[in-house]
Amino acid sequence: MSKNARNRAQRNVLTQRQVPWGGIAFFAVIGVVAIVAISYAFMQSRPSSASGSGGAIAGLVQKDGLSRDHTSDPVKYDTSPPMGGAHDPMWQNCDAHVYDRQLRNENAVHSLEHGAVWISYRPDLPADQVKLLQDKVSATDYTLMSPYPGLDAPLALTAWGKQVKVQNADDGRIDAFLRAFVKGPQTQEPGAACDGAKDTP
Amino acid sequence: MTSANEPAESASAPAAATPARGRGRGRRATVVLAVAVVLIAAVLTGLATLRSERPGTDGPEAGFARDMSAHHAQAVRMSFIVRDRTGDAAVRLLAYDIINTQSAQIGMMTAWLDEWDLPKSDPAGPMRWMSGHGGHGGASRAAPPTVSPALQAGAGAARMPGMATREQLGELEHASGRAAEILFLRLMVAHHRAGVAMAEAVLDRTGHARVRALARSMVNGQQAEIDLMNRMLRERGSEAV
Repeated sequence: MSKNARNRAQRNVLTQRQVPWGGIAFFAVIGVVAIVAISYAFMQSRPSSASGSGGAIAGLVQKDGLSRDHTSDPVKYDTSPPMGGAHDPMWQNCDAHVYDRQLRNENAVHSLEHGAVWISYRPDLPADQVKLLQDKVSATDYTLMSPYPGLDAPLALTAWGKQVKVQNADDGRIDAFLRAFVKGPQTQEPGAACDGAKDTP
Repeated sequence: MTSANEPAESASAPAAATPARGRGRGRRATVVLAVAVVLIAAVLTGLATLRSERPGTDGPEAGFARDMSAHHAQAVRMSFIVRDRTGDAAVRLLAYDIINTQSAQIGMMTAWLDEWDLPKSDPAGPMRWMSGHGGHGGASRAAPPTVSPALQAGAGAARMPGMATREQLGELEHASGRAAEILFLRLMVAHHRAGVAMAEAVLDRTGHARVRALARSMVNGQQAEIDLMNRMLRERGSEAV
């Protein structure tokens, strides 16, 4: 056999044994394009993780085992504002309701049971911040808002068994709290009304 | 020659076998890769499809569910009020019908949001889903103008088109008899008209079967009730609205 033939044989060996880079590259490109396209579709359709736990809200305080008794007597609550517990048979209307005076805790707690979020603020909260919150509350069903003298923070957001206190009306946790807890999973009576009961402080 | 040939022979013996084997292996690898890519793509596409059947929080389906729930809640409230304010059988029966239908529909829409794992409230404000993205000019035909939360915040302003103000609700709570019936009917016609517009707006914007079915039933049901209420207004000596 000639040197030539041997070279050809060797070349054949090399080429035939080679990994099929062409095929790999072809399908890898298709694969990458498909994965990128589909992940993009995924991100687009992914719901902004709503519900739920509100686990991402920094400083969230939670409380379990709250009484749901009805009573017309005054109730002593162990947090301020209260996060749940025994309450008055009349709920405070929470149909996007802005109150300009302090509410009875016992009525507001009943609204929490119905899935409302209660925004309470220290009366010295600057007027522009109060306005910001009023706008938000009056556009959001199942919320109520009232001044709360003696509050140990400028403002507090409370749902049944959930509470966060923040310093400013533009704190991002306010919207996060509303998304998580307005008629959220902590609601004790899903479907219960936010109107038809106590309409004044 | 022979001495040079022999090693060549012995080298070409395995070489003769390997090209075929090598080619086979290459083809097999290509096939395996192709199958893997197709499988991964199929799985991801399947997941993405499942995912995309769950509407997003800013989509028309979720916006409709949230806003129509608030809208319905007020219709239920007004119907309860008028049942307390008049003994008229026809108005009380209509109110009874609205209370049951719209309460049940609130429950359905709340269950959608639960199923889609979406918030029940949108702190960015109501009716945003109705601006833009409208098919067939739906936004201009069906949707009343979007009102920013800031504009609505004024005392007594209605939160959404067609909704009664707090003052109007207070007026209804203090009216009685024929006056209460007429006020209720006028407020409820306006309420229903905006409800029909909102339901039409979501029909323009979604292909989601269950959302479409409920919205369609609202358009038909509320339109029929508008006609009924206008007949009732005329029977009570009032202008239709």
